[in-house]
Amino acid sequence: MKTRVPFREGLFQGSDEEGSLLGARCRQCGQIIFPGREACLNCLGHDLESICLSRNGKLYTYTIVHMPSEHFTPPYAVGWIELPEGVRVFSQIRGWQEYPLEIGMDMTLHFEKLWDEEEKEVVGYVFRPSTNGGA
Amino acid sequence: MRDVAIIGVGSTVMGKFPESLPYELGAEAARAAIQDAGISPGDLQFAYCANLYGGMVIGQAVLGEIGITDIELTNIENACTGGATAVRKAWWDIASGLYDIGIAVGVESITTSPMAGKLITPAKGDITGELGMNMVARFALSQRRYMDMFNISLEQIAQVSVKNHRNGCMNPYSQYRKELTIEEILNSRPICEPITLLQCCPSTDGAAAAILVPLDLAGKYTSQPVTIAASVLKSGDYAFRWEDMTFSDMTSKCANSAYEMAGLGPEDVNVCELHDAFAMNELQHYVELGFCKRGEEVRLLEDGVTELGGKIPVNTSGGLLSKGHPVSASGVAQIAELVWQLRGQAGERQVAGAKVALAHVIGGEVTGLESGAVAVHILKR
Ligand SMILES: [Zn+2]
Repeated sequence: MKTRVPFREGLFQGSDEEGSLLGARCRQCGQIIFPGREACLNCLGHDLESICLSRNGKLYTYTIVHMPSEHFTPPYAVGWIELPEGVRVFSQIRGWQEYPLEIGMDMTLHFEKLWDEEEKEVVGYVFRPSTNGGA
Repeated sequence: MRDVAIIGVGSTVMGKFPESLPYELGAEAARAAIQDAGISPGDLQFAYCANLYGGMVIGQAVLGEIGITDIELTNIENACTGGATAVRKAWWDIASGLYDIGIAVGVESITTSPMAGKLITPAKGDITGELGMNMVARFALSQRRYMDMFNISLEQIAQVSVKNHRNGCMNPYSQYRKELTIEEILNSRPICEPITLLQCCPSTDGAAAAILVPLDLAGKYTSQPVTIAASVLKSGDYAFRWEDMTFSDMTSKCANSAYEMAGLGPEDVNVCELHDAFAMNELQHYVELGFCKRGEEVRLLEDGVTELGGKIPVNTSGGLLSKGHPVSASGVAQIAELVWQLRGQAGERQVAGAKVALAHVIGGEVTGLESGAVAVHILKR
């Protein structure tokens, strides 16, 4: 079996059921950012706390891409998911063939294989339409 | 600060030129501008040359080709805004009193660059790029939401491309000189849904140039100087401050600063060249540039306000969609078109009596920012 590696360190923690994206909240101005950083980009303050972002959000917009890409075979879907914290996250969208995408629909975070890299399986976050009757 | 005038412009025909090296295209445009200004190459005191794909110190190769050496020469890269940045910098060198005559050149040869036909891979550290973002997807994402939130149809968006290709037919410098139908545009292959191929600008080789002097010396060279009433350049703000992906805050802020600088308003603009890299961009920019209120932009197009013969003809050159988008040259090519319009030299596509013109370019992708750079110039006669 291939080793599973995150496509980037520090962006998320855990796995499917209990995992989450890692953002940061500025204690000085309240700005929430994803991904987290050393300093707040809004007020440049350094007093930030790491927070787990909500696993459910709404589809802000999406597109089906027909262009070749380094890691993905077209057609594939990408979109911006708006989380309740007011943060928008850019992500691969899976399950769009089964559940036609619609702006405003409920979306849920999953952790899945993004692509293969030699002996490794690169894992990252994706969003799928929520199937349990909403968020 | 001194008022600055443009006394000469020049352009190559836009297109795909695998046989022309970038410096040859640049030299052709610079030579045309020098001839238009009625000066000799040796008169030029400084130069800016914008380019993205041509390699190092391309400005020296361009100007060395036509006998211009041993001057202050600066090469500029600012993505799609590069050409406008060159004009802006030349404007300041004259306005500040540093020099009395200079040239701004924009040149791009994508066909002969190492980028030609290559898959554009994301920069290291570009998270959205690695997750499948690209330049078309970025605007397709905006377009999807735009159509949904404001009830705009693909047919209405395609009308922009129809209009600009119709204008391109009248421009001898245009890459495409062929009318398109809505059906052709919507039936062309999908790139990033809902954007199809013919809603996108093509990949283009070409160059353009402009020669600037102080307004009070312009009479020495020409009876038809065109004044730069405003020149504004801004970098993008953080995307977390960007509330609505269907409205470019950068363009809106930049246009407002330009109107303030010129002491003019959107109601004064008689002709406009704006950044129609994708057809839907043009509709959004009508709002950001102040030509109409949100929700009125489709009517502006459908009522013919932005057609030739309307109140504010937009992209009379054919725009990026038809004339083409030679990245770093586009900002200068827009200025050339508008100078011809203000002098009454635009032939079949002339806007009768045009006095005030506006040029707008935006571009360059950076993860976490709305976009890289935006520029607005207002010209008047
Ligand atoms: Zn802060």
